[in-house]
Amino acid sequence: MSIFLRKWKHAVLIVVLSVYTAYAAGPLFWVSMMSLRTTTEIAHNPYAFPQKFHVGKFAEAWVNSNYSVYFTNSVKVVLCAVAIVTLIGGMAAHCFARYRFPLRKVLYFTLFSTIIFPPQITIIALFQILVEYGLYNTLTGLTLTYVAFQLPITVYVLESFFARIPSDLYDAARMDGYSEWRIFWKVSMPVALPALSTTVILNTILLWNEFLYAVVLITDETKRTLPLGIQKFMGDQLEDIGMIATGLMIAIIPVVVIYIFFSEKLIQGMTAGAVK
Amino acid sequence: MSDTVIKKGSFSLGVRRDLAWPIGAIVSFLLPAMLVYVAFTAYPVLRTLFNSLHQVLPGRPNVFIGAENYIELFKDEFFWQAVKNTLVWACTAPLLEQFLAILLALALYAKIPGARFFRVVWFTPVLMSFVVVGIIWMWIFNYDWGAVNVILRELGLENWIRSWLGDPSTALPSLIFVTTWMWTGFNMVVLLAALHSLPSEVLEAAELDNCSWMKKLWFVMVPLIRPTILNLIVLSFVGKMKVFDLVWIMTKGGPLWSTETVSTYVYKRAFEWSTFDLGYPCSIASVWFIIVLAGVLLLTFLFRQRGKLEY
Repeated sequence: MSIFLRKWKHAVLIVVLSVYTAYAAGPLFWVSMMSLRTTTEIAHNPYAFPQKFHVGKFAEAWVNSNYSVYFTNSVKVVLCAVAIVTLIGGMAAHCFARYRFPLRKVLYFTLFSTIIFPPQITIIALFQILVEYGLYNTLTGLTLTYVAFQLPITVYVLESFFARIPSDLYDAARMDGYSEWRIFWKVSMPVALPALSTTVILNTILLWNEFLYAVVLITDETKRTLPLGIQKFMGDQLEDIGMIATGLMIAIIPVVVIYIFFSEKLIQGMTAGAVK
Repeated sequence: MSDTVIKKGSFSLGVRRDLAWPIGAIVSFLLPAMLVYVAFTAYPVLRTLFNSLHQVLPGRPNVFIGAENYIELFKDEFFWQAVKNTLVWACTAPLLEQFLAILLALALYAKIPGARFFRVVWFTPVLMSFVVVGIIWMWIFNYDWGAVNVILRELGLENWIRSWLGDPSTALPSLIFVTTWMWTGFNMVVLLAALHSLPSEVLEAAELDNCSWMKKLWFVMVPLIRPTILNLIVLSFVGKMKVFDLVWIMTKGGPLWSTETVSTYVYKRAFEWSTFDLGYPCSIASVWFIIVLAGVLLLTFLFRQRGKLEY
């Protein structure tokens, strides 16, 4: 009897989990199917598997609908922003973790507290400031904004890691006559490689998907990042479901590739702020 | 004896490090980050607060108008509608996410087969851009061929069918549904990590006391991971107070202001409406900034308080 009951419970559990899995993964799976079908096929039946894989649609979106431009812009902005934020965030985090100096706590708290700021509090003024400095509507301006946007979380994750490195390592380095900079490059950064890769992956994903700053700070067609490009394409080609789906996949694929290779790192990074 | 010597030794080493502050190195380590922070965060925040007291028109000097923007804001019914929508969102979505996430985390914690696969799959939605998510869900809510209505038709629930995003009474719940889809997996992963880090002695003690599974869950496990749950609620609350992208893509605040959030309203007033005045949206942003900070402080305080009372 009890075995029967357990089996029955098990069955219910499996059904519930399957339903949730369909809910979680279904929409993405559906889009990936539609990205390989033409709009006429989709109009005929939106929920069918591709009869023939129209891979050429990707080439068409890439060449004819400016996706190559959007994609390149996104790659440029994200790579530069992540490189800069990792470097200067790492330097600041090293400093907060390894030295005791006046105002240390105040500075750290000021930087850290911006994590909860709603972006609206900076965005209008940022728009004005970037216009004044001639950085409005430039990828440079957007990159710098992104650096500032991701700086607090980067410093937060790295600081907690640097602080846990045994001080023996630093003492040994000092005895060997290392300068403070050399200590940073030869001790802190290499030892913190796991934490660095966590922040790099986290920042890459978040910035790749970023929309609000981009929509305010970029208007030029040739400077649009992928999310902006997709939004524009959606507005222009409202009826062309098949092509829009292809465009969506162009934005999704890099994320999924990173996820396949670094799923554990990525989950760690995304949840870094939540678990104290 | 030798123990104390060693302790003293390491202690003095520690002090040496503490006292030695190579000012040049510290400044050069901090300077780039601080410059970026001042130029792209601190200065814009101050400027927004400054703007909120002025009339800011392009190509003209700012005119000081005191609290006029704030008075206007107080009478602005669209603003209050936006506040109401955002608060509804920020108060319901976190609880919904937590509820589902706890159930899912427990299912995976019970070591069902394929747990790793489920975990990876459930986490995926949060990795997508809001733009991508928004467009996909616009299609899912489509009246004619969207999955929601197709499923309802299959189930014979014809009278439930509606234009989900076009109906003011269902538009906001539909959007909340989408954010729940996105964030539940994320919360689940964090909770699962918390569950796995529970001390096994406590759980074993509960088992020795002949606790049933449900009792163990409710009286031992949930209280132990409560700090994580509360953290997640605060995090989710903050996220929902800022929500912009999804609304902008899916409904632009419509129909009839039913999904307008404070963020979209700020954007509209600053860059869409042809009022050209940047002072007024800055005052909205400033008020909202203070409300979000107050909300976070209040929640943290409340949760701390409860913790103190019960232990």
